[in-house]
Amino acid sequence: MIGVGFLILLPILFVNDPDYMSLITSANILAAIAIPLAWQMSGIGRMNFGPQFFVGIGGFTAALLSIHWGWGPWQTLGVVVLFSLCLGLLLSPLTTIAHGLYFSLITLILPLMFLEVTFVYNETFQGETGLYGIAPFLELDNILIEQTVLCYCSLGLMLLFLYIVDKTLRSRIGLFAAAINDEEDVADACGLNINFWKMLCFTITSVMIGIAGWFLAHHDGTFAGITYLPLPFMIKILLVVIIGGRGELYGAIVGAYFVTILERVLTVLGAVNYVIFPLILLILLFTLPEGLYGLYRKHKYREYYPTMRVRKR
Amino acid sequence: MLLKVDSVSMSFGGLKAVNDVSLSVERGEIVGLIGPNGAGKTTLMNMIGGVYKPTSGRIFVEDVEITGLKPNKICRLGISRTFQIPRPFPDLTALANVCIGVLCGKTRPHMSYTEAMLDASHFLEFFGLFGKRNTLARDLTLYEMRALELARALATTPKLIMIDEVMAGLNPGEASKAIDLVQRMVEEYHVTILWIEHVMKVIMEATERVIVLQYGQKIASGPPREVINDPKIIDAYLGEKIA
Repeated sequence: MIGVGFLILLPILFVNDPDYMSLITSANILAAIAIPLAWQMSGIGRMNFGPQFFVGIGGFTAALLSIHWGWGPWQTLGVVVLFSLCLGLLLSPLTTIAHGLYFSLITLILPLMFLEVTFVYNETFQGETGLYGIAPFLELDNILIEQTVLCYCSLGLMLLFLYIVDKTLRSRIGLFAAAINDEEDVADACGLNINFWKMLCFTITSVMIGIAGWFLAHHDGTFAGITYLPLPFMIKILLVVIIGGRGELYGAIVGAYFVTILERVLTVLGAVNYVIFPLILLILLFTLPEGLYGLYRKHKYREYYPTMRVRKR
Repeated sequence: MLLKVDSVSMSFGGLKAVNDVSLSVERGEIVGLIGPNGAGKTTLMNMIGGVYKPTSGRIFVEDVEITGLKPNKICRLGISRTFQIPRPFPDLTALANVCIGVLCGKTRPHMSYTEAMLDASHFLEFFGLFGKRNTLARDLTLYEMRALELARALATTPKLIMIDEVMAGLNPGEASKAIDLVQRMVEEYHVTILWIEHVMKVIMEATERVIVLQYGQKIASGPPREVINDPKIIDAYLGEKIA
């Protein structure tokens, strides 16, 4: 609760600085992607190396509907949810068919294929420049107020995801997710229908990530595949999850703020940033195996200590 | 008849791990399944548990065919198991481990998570692990892990529990406690046991009937005292010279 209170107060401290306000918004959206992903990684017992695929699905669906049919954010939301749901359902059997590294490889390739599609069908997706002219959430005369409201909207989205996933993981569904992540064959032998729960988890979290993409599109007014689909964005999301703490929801928020701030701080170094940023993150991964949030949680009782698994079979 | 295995075979490529084995287990029995290494005991157990689909033959539980069903469906039909090498959910506490058995084994749509925890606590108490309920499974000793597996298996409310070498790696004191646990489990919960074991002393003490496998085939079946004096069994275990 203290942490949530701090997050609510934070934008007020920077209300006159649009630069910091956009930084906070970016961190909130990154956390909104990382929170469902943290659930997904334990719920399907596999590493998804392409979470940005559904960011792209949500973003492009919203952008295309808004640009071509003039739909507003609330109209596009329904279609984004429906489309992400259908695609999530369609891809969810991968969690049961593709064993071990194959799942990770397929999910790694999916967003890259989507990126190629945006270049091949350049007229539709504007692969090189991105789509622009997407209906914004709100248009106010005062840019500072507009940014503050949007910042709180991003915070609201992130807290909503946090509430949903937290409630879910504290229920029996969380226990099932932990069992699948730990020993899925044994969970199966204990009577758990692992295929059903894995597919359900993948589908729901995919919809949530799609909604984060929808938010990005309407927030920025522009959406480009080249920004969100390539590997650097994927690395950023995965590092948020892992640095925040393996599978820790609250850790994902800490990780999102840490990665966003670190990225901004290191931009002053220019091109060197591209080397130093991953290097610092790698060092942190080795020195803090339980993530930054793990420092706080280390000595507290937990029912479950999740471990990320890239399965061999 | 609780379990009926009818002429099942299992081949892995050119290797016939189980060859035309038939057996039956009556309700309330403790049946030992013995045989030298590589005899096909665990493969047979895996077929009954749904891990492998038999190449040929059929398996029935109370006249319901379970051949080729998924392990979770077989578990919900009343067949539970433990593993040769303990396989708890390592990152979960002992209580949460057993809770999974409680929630998944039998369809209990109205059971709350809290009620499931209470039920799981009862099973932990029965196996002497209540004091370790908040310990992560990976931090338990080998004996405790084996007891936890039994508790988890029992929590699924099974009719039959398949126990795979529960004594492996235990010292004589722990082994004696483990036999006691299994016998108490049968008395209090009226479960049927199919017990794979290498320790003949355990088989002699605890089982009412043994089935012997060799090279994937059933070579004998009967009361333990009779079976161990059978020259065929001595030959299988110790070689022709001694037999």
